[in-house]
Amino acid sequence: MSATAAMKAPTRDLGLLRRRRAADMVATVLCFAATLVVLAALASILWTLVANGIGGLTLRTLTRVTAPAGGNGGLLNPLVGSVIQVALATLLGTPIGLLAGIYLAEYGTGSAVANAVRFVSDMLLSAPSILVGLFVYLVLVAPFHHFSGWAGVVALAILVVPIVVRTSEDMLRLVPLSMREAAAALGAPHWKVVLLVCVRAARRGMMTGVLLAVARISGETAPLLFTSLGNLNWSLSLNRSMASLPVTIYQYAGSPADDWVQLAWTAALLITVGVLLINIAARLGLRGGDR
Amino acid sequence: MDDRTAPRPLPGMSFQATATAGTSTSPGTARPMISTRNLDFHYGASQALKGISLDFPARQVTGLIGPSGCGKSTLLRVLNRMYDLYPGQRATGEVLLDGETIIGPHVDANRLRSRVGMVFQKPTPFPMSVESNVAFGIRLHERLGRADMAARIEDALRRVALWNEVKDRLRTSATSLSGGQQQRLCIARTIATRPEVILLDEPTSALDPISTARIEELLDELKQDFTIAIVTHNLQQAARCADRVAFFYMGELVEVDEASRLFTTPRQKRTQDYITGRFG
Repeated sequence: MSATAAMKAPTRDLGLLRRRRAADMVATVLCFAATLVVLAALASILWTLVANGIGGLTLRTLTRVTAPAGGNGGLLNPLVGSVIQVALATLLGTPIGLLAGIYLAEYGTGSAVANAVRFVSDMLLSAPSILVGLFVYLVLVAPFHHFSGWAGVVALAILVVPIVVRTSEDMLRLVPLSMREAAAALGAPHWKVVLLVCVRAARRGMMTGVLLAVARISGETAPLLFTSLGNLNWSLSLNRSMASLPVTIYQYAGSPADDWVQLAWTAALLITVGVLLINIAARLGLRGGDR
Repeated sequence: MDDRTAPRPLPGMSFQATATAGTSTSPGTARPMISTRNLDFHYGASQALKGISLDFPARQVTGLIGPSGCGKSTLLRVLNRMYDLYPGQRATGEVLLDGETIIGPHVDANRLRSRVGMVFQKPTPFPMSVESNVAFGIRLHERLGRADMAARIEDALRRVALWNEVKDRLRTSATSLSGGQQQRLCIARTIATRPEVILLDEPTSALDPISTARIEELLDELKQDFTIAIVTHNLQQAARCADRVAFFYMGELVEVDEASRLFTTPRQKRTQDYITGRFG
């Protein structure tokens, strides 16, 4: 009985093997096709951006303030405004996000407060950014009767926080329990285990979260429309309305003036290249720093 | 469970009989560095240790053996209060370290852990340099100048026979070492804080035979200065390394005796069955 089964088995297995090979082939082809579609879309976007934007990427664009259509203007004030607002928002939102992420992963396990914080943070993560802009408008713009760079910074920072919370909590949870126990076994108090070992082990992932947040807010337009508004003149004051690249794109891209449209393309290219450079720099900085 | 062992070493077995001058000369009655009395342990509702009374003689290697889930690792985690990290785990009974009780809310667990070090099953190097790994534990408890720190690090690495392999890459990441090197680094990290007791929880089960042999050799050296408790699934390892062996089964301490005797003439049938491979 079992001997016959054993003798028959090879012929049956061949059919099974053929079916499996076919299924494997189909799955592989589908995966490659899906990857190609995504990459093609990405390449097409990048190509369009470079092709249309590179022409306007001149010294004049980078050194002159925005001007009326046909007025030979540049992108200096939106560029500087964006850098200032994104940098300050990152500086403001990152510590809050990191600390909240550390709390959720290391201190709040199972507590009702932590569950509530995590839920709210995840809600915020998927909330439309225009709502954040309106919220800050009500809190920081309307009561003072004027738009301001600070309001823009706060709106962007609110977008940074949940991204950093989510990634830092996830990355800390990946740190193996054995490493925490090993640190505790040496007599390290909990806060030292967390800061000196867990955060260290998770720091690349946490940094990636911060970079994701920077990339996200660099292109945000809606929260800035209600807060820093945009400014056609040169101004470094955060107490007044402040220019930014996304808002400039929003204003210029739909304009009938050719030079404005050209500047909008260039602004889009600047954001993309800027985010790319920040990513590369941060990755180089983190590599090999295992001290 | 009783200490009725007589000083009767078998031929070929060397016992750590003269650990400290002035104390007893027989291994069975050597001064206990750690003693547990009627120790119970609970994971939530389930009881993992039942009335354990066991002595760990100073400067000897005590091996803990038994089938999976018998409570041997649990006992180890009581001795440095590792279970404190997890709510719902609790130990009752008496555990004395050099005569002082270590169970209870008034005992500082971090200070206890500086006296009772632990090495784990899988090597657990921290994501930092070789040097910083060793310095980590020292810095928790002492402030040392640069030269003193370097000397301490070198001393710890020499004692685990790792110095020659890593002296030229003290500043490279510890994760780039091999598994056996990582485990020796973890032992160096533990002894660098100068504990009195070292607990080893299956320290070689993730290592190849050569790395295992090196760690076993190391235990012989280390017991000159430290009291050692080692949990192992490997009975040969227990026979090779341990002076005394305790056999656990279902949360109970079945038998404890000198290694030579426990493996040749066990008093309990369950021990006999386990060491002859009839279960477990």
